Amino acid sequence: MAKAASGRSRTGKHLPDIDMLPVMNLFCCIIPFLLFSATFLEVVIVEMAQTEGISNAGGGATANLMRSEEDRLQPKIIITEQEMFIGTVSGTAHVSYALQTEINGSMVTTFSWDSLTIKMTEVRDLLTEAYPQIEFHKITILTVEETRYDNIIQAIDIANATGFDQPGLQVAPSASVNSAMAGGGVQ
Amino acid sequence: MSSPSKRRVPLLLGSGKSVALSRGGDKKVVLNLTSMIDMFTILLVFLLKSYSADGQIVTLSDQLILPKARVELRVQLKLEIQVNNSVIVVDGDPLLSVTPELLNSGNSIPELVTRLQDHMEYSRLTRGTLTEEDMKINIQGDIGIPAILLQRVMASCSEAGYVGQNLAVIKAEIVEGGEV
Repeated sequence: MAKAASGRSRTGKHLPDIDMLPVMNLFCCIIPFLLFSATFLEVVIVEMAQTEGISNAGGGATANLMRSEEDRLQPKIIITEQEMFIGTVSGTAHVSYALQTEINGSMVTTFSWDSLTIKMTEVRDLLTEAYPQIEFHKITILTVEETRYDNIIQAIDIANATGFDQPGLQVAPSASVNSAMAGGGVQ
Repeated sequence: MSSPSKRRVPLLLGSGKSVALSRGGDKKVVLNLTSMIDMFTILLVFLLKSYSADGQIVTLSDQLILPKARVELRVQLKLEIQVNNSVIVVDGDPLLSVTPELLNSGNSIPELVTRLQDHMEYSRLTRGTLTEEDMKINIQGDIGIPAILLQRVMASCSEAGYVGQNLAVIKAEIVEGGEV
């Protein structure tokens, strides 16, 4: 043993070469496989709410009353060509004016989504404070016919982030939406 | 593909290698693989992190750009409708063109309703019964489609019996200070 130890000390400066070829072979197999099967874009879904009425099926009368109350009180995000509002039974509140932005060389309409986030949080807090017995999940996106799909999705996404995770979509002619806004409230 | 030889093969570099060889020169350069191994390791870790064993169960068309959202609900295999500003595609088959008339009138789209009802009837016949999950549908819409087109497609789905409508979006990665 003592001789072997002294032998090691004599050859201590010589490091054995590690054969990297098997490792390289392994990498050359794994990396193309992973590159071919890689998914860099993950597709997810937004579930749209069903329109449901009051029924006796399940839940009982109290739950149905709660649900109908939630339906009555549910807020609406109203998107017109010029402006975006939040509407509740109490009235409407301005959120943002339409902004023009350039996407892929063409000018498109968008809105201030940060303002919508702030307003949605305020609306949620107000509703929860005023009606603590009701859990609010539903929200309606009321929009004119020309609104771009990505604006609708942005509005749904922000509503979802603030707890309104059952969005519904209503599309109305511009004249109807504008006349509803001129009436001072959205029911 | 033949397996590489384990015998160490010297890599001869330099413009005058033939001269060096003829003179019995000793210019043998061994390729240093360490940096390449480092790069491969980083690449491997990145790819393994982004690897999904589930695979991609929806087919994304080149003809549309999906919007981004921060939702977390994973997509499930359902009947797919793809909508852009020129065509409506059901289950991979182009069904009808998007014309100005389509954007002006009516609520549901009769041709789409018929096609979806046929599909639901086929599912009912093949499976015997339909569950709530079978009555869901995935809608892939281009970011540029108008709301009226989306609403007509969704109304058609409802009329055909597909009560659950899922809008497919690209998951937005959230980084500090905003989303990507």
